[in-house]
Amino acid sequence: MTASATRPAGSVHGWVAHLRAGGTTPWLAWTGPDDTDATTRRALPGAQQLELLRRINLARESSARPGGDHDRERSRLADRVLAAPAAGRGKADLPLVGAAPTGFGAQPVDPATVSAHELLRVASTLLADDLVALGADPVRRGVPRPWRRRFRLVGDPLVVASAREHLLGRGRPEGGPRAFVVAVGGPLDDLLAHTWTQRCFEHGSRPWGDWLRFWRERDQLPARVDLDDSVRRWGGRRPLVRVVTDLDQLPAHLGVRRLPEVRVPGADQAELARRISAVVGIRVPVAERPALMRTLQRRMPDSGVAPVVVPAAEHAWVASSAARMTRRLTRAGYPVVGDLADLAPRAAADRPGPSGPAGVDGRQVLDLAIRMIVDPGWRTSRERSVER
Amino acid sequence: MSRRVLLHVGCPKTGTSYLQDVLFRNQPVLREHDILYPADRFDAHFLAALDLMTLPWGGIETEAVGAWDRLAAEVREWHGTSIISHEIFARATPTQVERALASLGDAEVHLVLSVRDLVRQVPAEWQENVKHRSHITYAKFLRTIRDPDRDSRIGSWFWAVQEIPDILERWGSSLPPERVHLVTLPPPGADRGELWRRFSRTFGLDGLPLDLTAERENPSLGVPETSLLRTINERVTSIIAPPDYRPLVRETLAHQTLSRGVSSARLGLSPEDHAWARGLSERWIAVLAERGYDVVGSLDDLLGPDAGTFANPDAVTADELLPPALDAISALLVEGARLRAVEERLHGELREAREDLERARATTAYRARRKVVTTLEGSPAGRGSLDAYRRLRGRKG
Repeated sequence: MTASATRPAGSVHGWVAHLRAGGTTPWLAWTGPDDTDATTRRALPGAQQLELLRRINLARESSARPGGDHDRERSRLADRVLAAPAAGRGKADLPLVGAAPTGFGAQPVDPATVSAHELLRVASTLLADDLVALGADPVRRGVPRPWRRRFRLVGDPLVVASAREHLLGRGRPEGGPRAFVVAVGGPLDDLLAHTWTQRCFEHGSRPWGDWLRFWRERDQLPARVDLDDSVRRWGGRRPLVRVVTDLDQLPAHLGVRRLPEVRVPGADQAELARRISAVVGIRVPVAERPALMRTLQRRMPDSGVAPVVVPAAEHAWVASSAARMTRRLTRAGYPVVGDLADLAPRAAADRPGPSGPAGVDGRQVLDLAIRMIVDPGWRTSRERSVER
Repeated sequence: MSRRVLLHVGCPKTGTSYLQDVLFRNQPVLREHDILYPADRFDAHFLAALDLMTLPWGGIETEAVGAWDRLAAEVREWHGTSIISHEIFARATPTQVERALASLGDAEVHLVLSVRDLVRQVPAEWQENVKHRSHITYAKFLRTIRDPDRDSRIGSWFWAVQEIPDILERWGSSLPPERVHLVTLPPPGADRGELWRRFSRTFGLDGLPLDLTAERENPSLGVPETSLLRTINERVTSIIAPPDYRPLVRETLAHQTLSRGVSSARLGLSPEDHAWARGLSERWIAVLAERGYDVVGSLDDLLGPDAGTFANPDAVTADELLPPALDAISALLVEGARLRAVEERLHGELREAREDLERARATTAYRARRKVVTTLEGSPAGRGSLDAYRRLRGRKG
């Protein structure tokens, strides 16, 4: 069939029923009959929902997970996909090319050509709803040990969030009087990438490229990356401050033998989390979002994609910012564990990873999203923990 | 009494802010007459629309959790007429429309769409984009919306909320045409009260003792003022986050400062764009006339005014930009001074709170323990002792 040929309205409903039953035939190759009852027809979803469902069916076919509740589970998922809105202010639901044209509304499209970005708008809604339905994993709190060294962790958000959670589980919540302010540093480009990544798993963020540009054009550093400012914000005084750039020595300065290994989410994981976070923000009260997103961070399956890295074009700004921060920390005279020279960014060539302006490959993000929709293991398994 | 819902779904830039403000402020009077406008805050129906359509909106959406379901529940429980009104409902997809109508229960639903001619809507929508952080030039905006692919975010949004036949098809296809009410905006120069009379008639408000004072409107800007704002956006959109942009740029600059330039040239369409808009409007009018909706006003209102003198906002000179730019600087300095005063007051309150805390901690036992610790922290040997003590306690613990 050619894209321009017009088909009867019932043909679209027949294709929807085909997809709902697990079919994978592309719209332009669809020649099946209209086998639905015209009186029970519901509003037609857009090309985004229909194509996502077709891709999900393809993924289910290849994953081949038969089971007693397979059909019921498939229908339930299909209905959810077809009803899911494409989140955000992008295109509204797109009509199918060849379906009876109304003469108004968006241009009809071949669903097979709908971009990964558009499909992700629907997929992120589904995953956000899954996450909300799952609820937040309980936070482990050990028996309080107030006599132990008190600490306030600032700096690298990925390391800090992981350590904070571990210490809380050992009865050592952050803060308290005369707490040691421990500022966790590292190459500034890593700190920036980690900060954006962690933001995606908290309240969400702008896309990686836009976020970096925001700070570069302001010639400022995000609050959590600016170690000197973070220490001052917590009222750190010299004897009670440690700037740690040698992470091997961090456990000793927090009064523990070891800390869990820090898992740096890949660019696809962070981008998907960013999109999910935006939808979660409209599904649950704002105070509940961080716990849900932390749950997602712990449970999101690995994909092997490298984390985002700062693109070479931003390197000069990152280097000058690192030098400025190093000067300020040196002048402040805080005890340093490691070497402040370690704050300098590593050469861009040293690290593989998505560093372009967008920083993230939409197809990889979509692959991960479909994998998470098809395989509910991340929701049904017990939370994972990674120990060094 | 029969249950009715008047569902006003658009369009933007058709006097909706004024209508919603009147409805919001007159809720008690309306209730006395069995009319419900369920809103605990002015933007309650905006939040409901964000929730219904899963629309993140610069962080505001976090206040919209569950807003549509709450609104629909109130409407279902009301015995008389309910009014729901927000212009961004116009963008809802067929699936969202289906969900919205289903959640209103068995009430008799009437759809209301207030509409204005494209000749005035196109410039107004560009201004609205500029007031929402965009720095797209007017020429590019026109190219974007005239592109039949509607592939851009601006193009797809513009038509989703302004293409009248499509909006009515999405929202009204399940309703009989006599329950679809098209309120046209009177042409320029018409009596200022005429639009309200049309709204009043449509919503059944005639004869009610309503306070019609205009407290909240969405004022338009002149050509140089819009051009200035667009130029400012070029500099600041990437570095000012939406929660800061809203109070500083849109409110302080656009609404409270630049909109005062009432003597400035108003924005219109070039002759070529005017002819295009007119042609499109004529086709829409023919389609709408065939559908048999209840028209409050006249479909001819949708033709729009004749082409006037066109002031190009992309060609405003530096001399023309200077007066509004100075106004903008003054307004921001005054706002900066106000925020400094707020900051100073907060610092004072924080100081007092810390002093209170210190006083509360000033017990004899606390002072004694603190003195020991402070003394030990003051010397390397002391810190070492403390550290050893803590490690010892830690191993035992």
